[in-house]
Amino acid sequence: MFDHTTDRSVNGLTRATYGALTYGHGQDTTLYPEADDTRTGTARPFPEHQVPAVVTPLSSNLTSEPWYLPLADEVAVFEAAYEARLPVLLKGPTGCGKTRFVEHMAWRLYRNTEGTRRETPIPLITVACHEDLTSTDLVGRYLLSGDTTVWMDGPLTRSVRTGAICYLDEVVEARKDTTVIIHSLTDHRRVLPIEKTGELLDAHPDFLLVISYNPGYQSIMKDLKPSTRQRFVSLEFTYPDVDVEAKIIAHESGVDHDFATCLARIGEKVRNLREHGFEDGVSTRLLVYAAQLTAKGIAPRRACDAAITSAVTDDVEVQQAVSDIIGVLLP
Amino acid sequence: MNVEDPPEHHPGRVRFADVQRPLSLFAEGLAGRFIQLTPSVASPPGTGREPTTESDGASIQVPNELSPFPTEALNRGAYRVAVLHQLGYLEHGTYAFDLTGFIGNRRNPALAQRVFATLEDLRIDTIIRRQYPGARFDIDRVLEHARSSRRALPRGRPLASLLEALVQFSLGADVPGLNAQDETGWQHRMLDVAATLQVPGATVHDTGRVAAEICRFLEELDVRSGDPRPETTDSDADADADDSPAPPTTGADGQSNGADVDRVDLSEDDLNGTRIDFRGELSPDPGQGRGVGDATDARGESASQTAPALKATTSPETITDPTGPTLAARRSGGPLAGDHLRTYFYREWDYRSQSYLPDWCRLHEHHLRGEDYAFITGVRRRHALLAGQVKRHFGAIRPEAWHRVHRTPDGDELSLDSVVEAVIDRRSGHATDEHLYVRRDRAVRDVAAAFLLDMSRSTDSPVPDPAELAQAAIPSAPDPGEHDPYLRGGYFDFDEFDLGPGAPKRRVIDVAKESLAVMCDALQTLGDSHAIFGFSGSGRHNVEFHVAKEFSDRTSSRTWAALAAMEPIRYTRMGPPIRHTVTKLAAQPERTKVLVVVTDGYPQDEDYGPDRNDRNYGIHDTARALEEAEAAGIATFCVTVDPAGHDYLRRMCAADRYLVISDVNALASELEKVYRSLTGR
Repeated sequence: MFDHTTDRSVNGLTRATYGALTYGHGQDTTLYPEADDTRTGTARPFPEHQVPAVVTPLSSNLTSEPWYLPLADEVAVFEAAYEARLPVLLKGPTGCGKTRFVEHMAWRLYRNTEGTRRETPIPLITVACHEDLTSTDLVGRYLLSGDTTVWMDGPLTRSVRTGAICYLDEVVEARKDTTVIIHSLTDHRRVLPIEKTGELLDAHPDFLLVISYNPGYQSIMKDLKPSTRQRFVSLEFTYPDVDVEAKIIAHESGVDHDFATCLARIGEKVRNLREHGFEDGVSTRLLVYAAQLTAKGIAPRRACDAAITSAVTDDVEVQQAVSDIIGVLLP
Repeated sequence: MNVEDPPEHHPGRVRFADVQRPLSLFAEGLAGRFIQLTPSVASPPGTGREPTTESDGASIQVPNELSPFPTEALNRGAYRVAVLHQLGYLEHGTYAFDLTGFIGNRRNPALAQRVFATLEDLRIDTIIRRQYPGARFDIDRVLEHARSSRRALPRGRPLASLLEALVQFSLGADVPGLNAQDETGWQHRMLDVAATLQVPGATVHDTGRVAAEICRFLEELDVRSGDPRPETTDSDADADADDSPAPPTTGADGQSNGADVDRVDLSEDDLNGTRIDFRGELSPDPGQGRGVGDATDARGESASQTAPALKATTSPETITDPTGPTLAARRSGGPLAGDHLRTYFYREWDYRSQSYLPDWCRLHEHHLRGEDYAFITGVRRRHALLAGQVKRHFGAIRPEAWHRVHRTPDGDELSLDSVVEAVIDRRSGHATDEHLYVRRDRAVRDVAAAFLLDMSRSTDSPVPDPAELAQAAIPSAPDPGEHDPYLRGGYFDFDEFDLGPGAPKRRVIDVAKESLAVMCDALQTLGDSHAIFGFSGSGRHNVEFHVAKEFSDRTSSRTWAALAAMEPIRYTRMGPPIRHTVTKLAAQPERTKVLVVVTDGYPQDEDYGPDRNDRNYGIHDTARALEEAEAAGIATFCVTVDPAGHDYLRRMCAADRYLVISDVNALASELEKVYRSLTGR
């Protein structure tokens, strides 16, 4: 069911490996066999064409700082929530930096600190939720091993035992029973009942639950129940303004500031069309992709067509409009 | 910008209808709000002017077609330039300027208007070149095309020559070349002043200031028309020092001392000739702010000083106010205006030409919000018996909550049988099957249903209350003051069905709303995904689509209040809302999809076909929309409370796809039967 993968595509803004463990079969998840090697400390270098222009690949135990540019006071709020062990809900459109933020915070709280938390082997365990994800998938199951069965912890149980941050990405995609089992972890009890083993697992003092969801497109299908929503400190994310987004694009891709600003303006204008078939508009992630393609020698217009125009919609006329907007804004 | 006498089949010709939607989206993306793009109305034959680009501050008129360039790509670029120029007006404050006040203070208002418009066009073109670097090639091409049709500077008519020079300068003409043609000796200084508008940061008030200076300049020249070369023209150093031409002899009020306006040597053609098609026409608007012209006329007053006075007069339609309501929201009117508005375009079927009219209808989607939170309580009380029956019927077909799927590769628990077999296989040396688990899956009905309610004005008609029907059979004593005998006898007198003094009458829409409430209340038992929409509108540009409940919305008191907020509004253009609902249904993951349309009359709208009295157009379009739904795998059903419904429904739907209900009060129970039959239970 689970592959211990290192996610290089689901994080907010880049394909770099910050990784922790990422579970799930979400469409964003890409399997990289070499990830297991990186976890054991024998990381192989990524092929050159897969390495982003600026970002250095990191090991899965967050030994390097994932770059994150704060938009407001979200870092301080998250730190305060962690100190009080309050679970955190991240809301925001796709590709705005939620996952990167969690990775950054995991690094700050587990690696950039003194004390025993630094010893946590995997500080962040990410689960990309999908519609077939059940509570069993999170908690664990018995596996057949030879002539006997062995219990295998799920990612949530593993986080609870080791004191990692468990990040349930796009949580409302999962089945309803998964959201119910996290309730006892999100209040004063901080316990995880494991029905199949008869265990009532007390959470490690360092454990924290973080969930995310996208109110935009997910409201079409599902919504977070109030009984779940009201257990979390909520941090709302949105796309940054042009200046900040330009800094992010420039940092993540290596393009110069003027071109990054131009891409940020394209993002700003194209998002004005979000009600015409693409609810989230164009994400910062896509703008970074366009910049990265350009940094690799692709003509800016072609890079934008590939990374933005074709990516945001299949409606030919909307594509034409997006292409025209890009055309007049690109130098 | 239009080429005179374009070939009938110009290979590069682009029609507005071909680019309407992408161009509208292009404008909306850049402006950050909906901008209405409409084709300009053709000028009467013989006027010599093609339709041009114009804006009223909230919408943009662009030419019906363009063919000045040989290829379609270039002509599309010309359309973009036209839109960018108009957006420049909106975005950079042109409409915040009180042009009426400005020209009202000039000796020659027509000249002042042309000078201001030309200078403002120069400023806007400079800004959009800077703001949209990727459009420079298109802008340069369009400007060059406009320049190519200009005449040489007129000789012997200094005013006409200066005005033409200003226009050509605004189109990017070579300045030394222009100055070489100058006979007045004033031109280079006038162009130097005009060039200050090309500096970054120039505002519309700078345009007003420069226009005022140049107008005084030209008026002074006119007064001295017997001696076109003024004595002060050689003091260039002084002019450069204060960045303005020679001081005028006019007073502070802008009136020339004893000047005679009739002496201006400009003809009507000279003035009209300054108009450039792609730029459109800046016209004075009486509704714009007052007093600005006085402010800008005061020599030396800076734009920053005049800006506060202008703020109070800024039109709410200017783009500088991003919080302002959208045009469409304001136009839709009614209690729902501005509430979560989205706009969509839909085609329409023209049965006469047997073809679709692309992007013909503009549909505005509103999310209803109501305040009647007691609505559902009243419905449940009023229809307690019926609601109970419907729920029982639906409850009988509700599937089991869960079912177990055996032999899955992963699941909640190991399957004992599978494990035993796997162990046996392993010990006997065979390959083992990895499908060892049992998984619990919820058995869902997999049905999505959309209810589309007619909110036309006719649903405002009162209906008899069943509780009162018995009493209605007993004629009451006629009112002595009543003069209309037809209100008695065999005719229903709806006034007889008062629920009590002051009690509101029930209308067709009330019954429809209550019926939908009963249905949807019961559907929660069934667990089917469902949505409730309403539609109305007036004209193809204003089709209103009201959302009481989306498929994704959880049923809550807000849902019921939204349903209660449905009210009769305008007309019944049925094609676009059906197509919009089909789009929503198509996005649903469920396997069985159902669309139920509840109406009280035939489709009609003020422009639903060329002849308003011709029902055929609307009936054909609605029938086509229903066919499209069926082709998309959506089962459709029309329910009408119109006794004459057979006449048109049989032309719109198959015989088993519609129902005419003679008793409006039976709508709820009939809907339940319809629903059960449609969903195969």
